[in-house]
Amino acid sequence: MTDAPPLSRRQAALALIASAASLASCDKPEEEIIPYVEQPERVVPGVPLRFATSLPLNGYARGVLATVFEGRPVKLEGNPAHPASLGATDVFLEAELLSLYDPDRSRAVREGARIASWDAFLGALRPQIRHAESKGGHGLSLLTGHITSPTMLRLIAELRARLPGLAWHAHEAAGTGNSLAGAALAFGRPLAAVQRLDRAAVVLAIDADPLGPGPDQIRHGREFASRRSARRAGKPFSRLYVVEPAMTITGAKADHRLPLAPAELRDFAAALAIRLGGELSAPPLAPRAQAFLDAVLDDLRAHPGEAMVLAGEWQPPEVHALVHWINQRLGAPVDLIEPVGPDLAEAPAPLGALVEALREDRVDTLLILGANPAYDGPGDLRVAEALRASRAFTVHLGPWRDETAALCRWHLPETHPLEDWADLRATDGTASVCQPLIRPLYATRSAAWLLGVVLGRQDEGSHAAVRATWAARQGGNFEAWWRRVLHEGVVPESAAPPVAAPPARLPALPERPSVGGLTLVLRPDATVWDGRYANNAWLQECPKPLTRNVWGNAAQIAPVEAAARHITDGEMVRLELGDRSVEVPVMVRAGTAPGVLSLTLGHGRARAGAIGDGVGTDAYALRRAAMPWAMPGLVLGGLGRPGGLLREQPDQRLDGEARELFQTLSLSDFTARIPAAPPPPARPPSLNPDAVSDTHAWAMVIDTTLCIGCNACVIACQSENNVPVVGPEQVAGGRDMHWLRIDTYDVGPAEDPRPGFQPVPCMHCEHAPCEPVCPVAASVHDAEGLNVQVYNRCIGTRFCQANCPYKVRRFNWRGYADGQEYANQGAPVIAAQRNPEVTVRARGVMEKCTYCTQRISAARRASEREGREIADGEVVTACQAACPSRAIIFGDLTKPESGVAQLRQEPQHYALLGHLGTRPRTTYLAEVINPNPALEDGAT
Amino acid sequence: MAQIFPAYANTVARAVILGAGALVAGGLGLLLVLPATSHVTRQDIIVEQPVQFSHEHHAGGLGIDCRYCHTSVEQSRFAGIPPTHTCMTCHSQIWTNAEMLAPVRRSLAEGVPLRWQRVHVLPDYVFFDHSVHVTNGVGCSTCHGAVNRMPQVRQVAPLTMGWCLDCHRDPAPNLRAPSEIYNMDWTPSSDQRERGGRLLEHYGIRSEHLTDCSRCHR
Repeated sequence: MTDAPPLSRRQAALALIASAASLASCDKPEEEIIPYVEQPERVVPGVPLRFATSLPLNGYARGVLATVFEGRPVKLEGNPAHPASLGATDVFLEAELLSLYDPDRSRAVREGARIASWDAFLGALRPQIRHAESKGGHGLSLLTGHITSPTMLRLIAELRARLPGLAWHAHEAAGTGNSLAGAALAFGRPLAAVQRLDRAAVVLAIDADPLGPGPDQIRHGREFASRRSARRAGKPFSRLYVVEPAMTITGAKADHRLPLAPAELRDFAAALAIRLGGELSAPPLAPRAQAFLDAVLDDLRAHPGEAMVLAGEWQPPEVHALVHWINQRLGAPVDLIEPVGPDLAEAPAPLGALVEALREDRVDTLLILGANPAYDGPGDLRVAEALRASRAFTVHLGPWRDETAALCRWHLPETHPLEDWADLRATDGTASVCQPLIRPLYATRSAAWLLGVVLGRQDEGSHAAVRATWAARQGGNFEAWWRRVLHEGVVPESAAPPVAAPPARLPALPERPSVGGLTLVLRPDATVWDGRYANNAWLQECPKPLTRNVWGNAAQIAPVEAAARHITDGEMVRLELGDRSVEVPVMVRAGTAPGVLSLTLGHGRARAGAIGDGVGTDAYALRRAAMPWAMPGLVLGGLGRPGGLLREQPDQRLDGEARELFQTLSLSDFTARIPAAPPPPARPPSLNPDAVSDTHAWAMVIDTTLCIGCNACVIACQSENNVPVVGPEQVAGGRDMHWLRIDTYDVGPAEDPRPGFQPVPCMHCEHAPCEPVCPVAASVHDAEGLNVQVYNRCIGTRFCQANCPYKVRRFNWRGYADGQEYANQGAPVIAAQRNPEVTVRARGVMEKCTYCTQRISAARRASEREGREIADGEVVTACQAACPSRAIIFGDLTKPESGVAQLRQEPQHYALLGHLGTRPRTTYLAEVINPNPALEDGAT
Repeated sequence: MAQIFPAYANTVARAVILGAGALVAGGLGLLLVLPATSHVTRQDIIVEQPVQFSHEHHAGGLGIDCRYCHTSVEQSRFAGIPPTHTCMTCHSQIWTNAEMLAPVRRSLAEGVPLRWQRVHVLPDYVFFDHSVHVTNGVGCSTCHGAVNRMPQVRQVAPLTMGWCLDCHRDPAPNLRAPSEIYNMDWTPSSDQRERGGRLLEHYGIRSEHLTDCSRCHR
């Protein structure tokens, strides 16, 4: 029995009657209208404003245009003028909005566990700074992430000038250390490589994932797409080869892919260099790898100036140096620029040096700005232990009270990037000024403010600091320049100019590791990156590309390795590396190289918040500072119990008739089809009347050749349309709410998979099977061809869902957005994210993709107000706007010159399940691949 | 065997059956009628406001244009409720000490907004847009009534979906020339049907699509 007073049956009945009576007597709730006291300039209630700013990932900028309703950002989209976003987005950029409104954000200064005040902190900090000043800065340490911000670099330089003994350390769990070190080996100094995929006809990626998550994903996606558009008009079509240990997005899009373990990759790169005239020695390759190499080499040589080799960040510096050498031989379209970030002379020290100093008690004061090394430091550094044992005055400034904050003496809440002034640079060096889109939600301060305090300028906010940086660089009419930069979102002509590199030197090859066992391959996660997004519910519930894994991570191994150890798919396994071990569910995935186990970072956090705590497995425990990405000597043992792996609609192998769902054709087949008229759409006899359109006819075409499965559209849809998360328990029950899913099909042979991505929104069928079965006409058509769902009519029979052949309808089994939210997603602050143009759906209601009907409506109302037609391209759906590779095109079918109408004439155009006679308005372009005839015969 | 039921049992049974029937019919009737009553539609109910602002005085007597206060009616979904500053453009000069205006002065002095009670409430799943209506020939008084003769604003129309659809199915009787939109005393002329037809063309209104669900619900 509980402690609650027992309720008799009579009392319970009375309570029921009383509550029913009170409900029945309720009138409509009183509503208030609260106007401004003084209306801010340009703010019109109900009319959104758009502002340009930038958001960081690993310190690198991606330009943003934010939609703001009455001072409340509700949607982020890419800034077309920014070279790293080009008008599109990635998952992290889209989901940053939810992080802004995260109820778990830190709101108060804390001394230990107690809540303190900013004044108390300043009082405690001052003697520490005076002490450091008396020692010339010795004993004062600063730990940051990777910094590109000119203002932060200026402040740190000022600090170093004033306190020469200051020790600055930088730590980035998924940073660019290897590639810069590789360039230093090849050219004598670190240089950053900017690969121009749009100028490459043949690309070989050696364990590189340019299309995968990261600060350059959007640019790479766009450039790749520009060389992979199969059109009647005839555009150049590039060829992509990939050798890698575990399947990545780039591997999935490759024309030829060869799984190789890390040691074999080293040999492969060396063999390639040898064939190009390099004086190296390497063991002979396996026959299959040799055949692959021969074909690749011929292709690279056949395209001088348009052939490129890429090495992944996770490859050792020697391989990067080798690739620089190869690219110089090939005249590859790779620009080399000065590294974006601190100058070489003032480069920060690594995390390991800080831990050593902490152990040796050489640190009096430690300021940690935004970094979280207690979680994302390599396991063998034992950062948390060193922090806990340290007697130093440790200060953590960050937006969350995370693992590191809990071990520091003081924790200071940091402003979110959308709340404050800042500046950033993109991977190509382009600078941008970030402006706040909302007043800070809590009493938070920025990193620039804290550095100002240490410099003795307590009142200098970020705004003054950023303006000071640029006023010093920009002569002339600064105010006009400043306003233009804020408006455009980029500093004009600030991209780093390519430098003329000296001839690359051939490096000495690293030792071939000889330890037995598996090699553990670590990668940043496609949805939570290095763990910084772990408390973001949208990202946790976003199915990871290829595996469709949600709410956690999983180890991937090849079927042969699993069979040898009698491990089954989905089983919990123990990974042992040296004296450390973790438990993780395993996925047996064809396409993984034998001898490799791959695992993603960023999960298993202890103090992320209500969403991220304890989700998945922490791979940092196994990580080593000396070799952060590939660690040999892993011992794997099955535990014989299920791993609780959650996957939303996992990928499917397509055989026989099912190949119709995801069609593939080779470039030569495509070219052969061009002269013929496009295949007529399937029109089986129907009792339904034909759709007659005397107004707009909205339609969408999705090019599966261009889709890189990055999920930007999925999160964009979630953000635009108030789509709630359901939580892991509901996902385990087979429920999810994503209006747009990316179906992943495997169309290759069983042992050598060739995944294909197919984004599936509502098809808006002209003969929609969902409509005749609705007993209350909640699923109906409008004149413009939209299959609309009328929430206020829906009574939740779910007949429509049952009758939908595409399974795109989602049912609110619970009040996912309306009273029964997952974890903290019902907190009032989350409501501020909701798009006021879209209904928040209640429990018991069916919902689905609307083609962003609110955006169509906004365009229609604007045109009616202004007495004109809706222009072509005026309506852009959220998924279309987000897509880095522009695989989604939306528009009006009645206009023959519109993008959709033209794409429907392409030879590879097809309708999904078109033979059912649904006449879908959303249609597809089949995936076109460009295989090398030399590798055609079963080689790969 | 003795009779179980007395003679009047038949009458009772008939009365019960008829009564039950009447109850069901009456209940159903009530359900049909109730939504149209002002108890549900809140028609003609006067709501207590923080300041007893008189539209009759300001719009009628002084002839202030609607858009002086409801500034966003031509651009936004919302007509806009004026900020305190708008009230004070005049009331910093006239009636500066009026007892009635004390909350307005307090709002300005303390920077705390006035909290008006909403009179016209639409459900959350309806997305009404003022701007497309006033730019396409629907005048204020068509829905809001002759506000210039209301000392206290009340809801004149039922604002039910059926009422909306009456006009969305056949807008012609309610369309006005652009110059008449803000005229509170506009009345249809005898040839309104014919004028309305011309206005439909003038505004480019395709009334056959005005009843699509997606026009108002999304």
